[in-house]
Amino acid sequence: MNGEDGASAPQEQTYTFDELNRRDLLKGTLRLASGAVVMVAGAGAATTTDYEWTEHKYAYLIDISKCIGCGSCVRACAAENHVPKGFFRTWVERYLVSHDHGAYVDSPNGGREGFPPVDTNVKPTKSFFVPKMCNHCTATPCIQVCPVGASYGTKDGLVLVDDKRCIGCGYCVQACPYGSRYINEETGCADKCTWCYHRITKGLKPACVEVCPTGTRQFGDMKNENDPVRAQLEKEPVTILQEHLLTEPNCFYLHADKEVR
Amino acid sequence: MERARHVLRVGVLLLLLVSGVTAARVLMLPASYGDYGAYRYDNVAEQRNKPVIHGGAKSCQGCHEKQWNLREDGEAHLKVSCEVCHGPLAIHATGPDKDKDKKIADMPIDKTAKLCALCHRRLESRPAAFPQINFDEKHTKGEKLDQPGVCKKCHDPHTTMFEEEAKPEDKDEKAEEKKDEKKPEEKKP
Repeated sequence: MNGEDGASAPQEQTYTFDELNRRDLLKGTLRLASGAVVMVAGAGAATTTDYEWTEHKYAYLIDISKCIGCGSCVRACAAENHVPKGFFRTWVERYLVSHDHGAYVDSPNGGREGFPPVDTNVKPTKSFFVPKMCNHCTATPCIQVCPVGASYGTKDGLVLVDDKRCIGCGYCVQACPYGSRYINEETGCADKCTWCYHRITKGLKPACVEVCPTGTRQFGDMKNENDPVRAQLEKEPVTILQEHLLTEPNCFYLHADKEVR
Repeated sequence: MERARHVLRVGVLLLLLVSGVTAARVLMLPASYGDYGAYRYDNVAEQRNKPVIHGGAKSCQGCHEKQWNLREDGEAHLKVSCEVCHGPLAIHATGPDKDKDKKIADMPIDKTAKLCALCHRRLESRPAAFPQINFDEKHTKGEKLDQPGVCKKCHDPHTTMFEEEAKPEDKDEKAEEKKDEKKPEEKKP
């Protein structure tokens, strides 16, 4: 940022309000304005790289019928993103469903150490694992409630959190209907799944997709016509979570039961 | 004359206001804020530049050709990335050099039946077609389940085919995974 040096000297002059006369004020203001223009231009140039975010639009597909609840994704996510113990960017839930008793859901330690045998008297007629994570909603409430512009949506379809901007107020944690956010006790900031933005922008898969042994988790680019995930979203009967909230998730589910929400 | 002075005063006040707001913006808003919306665009690059921890299965192939080929031939664990059991590449390849005679750190692998049970313990929530067993001492013919290498005596995890005898080379017991044994707590009720 070349402009910073040029802007800082005149800024110091404007601080001395006591002996300020009209001429100095005018001079200072003009210099400040020109410095600001250079600064903004310089900042824009500093962050351009070869990755073009308008050429991608990511989507995530979870096939519930394939999930074995091994928890590899939870462990990989924690390692990849330094997620503190007891918190989760992604987690796996076990649903035990029967028509008479509805759904019983458990997720011991987020499924990070796998699942023990069922510890309940509920006698389910059907049972399955459901991986959960941030849905990267297009019309997300978490961005709307952020008072400092720390949560934002990217052009390639993600919701990210700026940890230098976040003040840890927790509004977004409450606003998320999927429980995807938490306050990271190490940074004091809101934290959540980033679809491993540092990986996908390098052409890699998110860590959870990378390690998923059964192909339950798939990650794709909707702007790539040959993408297998795009093909499935176009041909298969996919669902989203809590559709009635109109958050427009970009995380899609295959073979999801009506009890999954 | 009197009017001119009034106009001048208003002008000066306006100028003060504009310069005040401009100065406040420059001082208080971080660089790149507002470039693409109400957020700091520099954070996009910061997110992108975070270090990659998992290298993917292919990153192991270069040094571990033998295990790679076993896995390729074995089929059953073909879709299981090396890092699922062995842990992420970054711990291994860029990890601390604890023992001076070792160039790279050991992988934090759990060699007890616990590792295999993560996927293959019989659970009613798993897809019925997925291979599952009861992890008990009947299956291991009396061997303790928390003993390292107990499953490997009959099953080679790289090929998953049955083996006649135990392989003698893997005898180091590095159960670093054990320390994160914690009381399970639920994220959601």
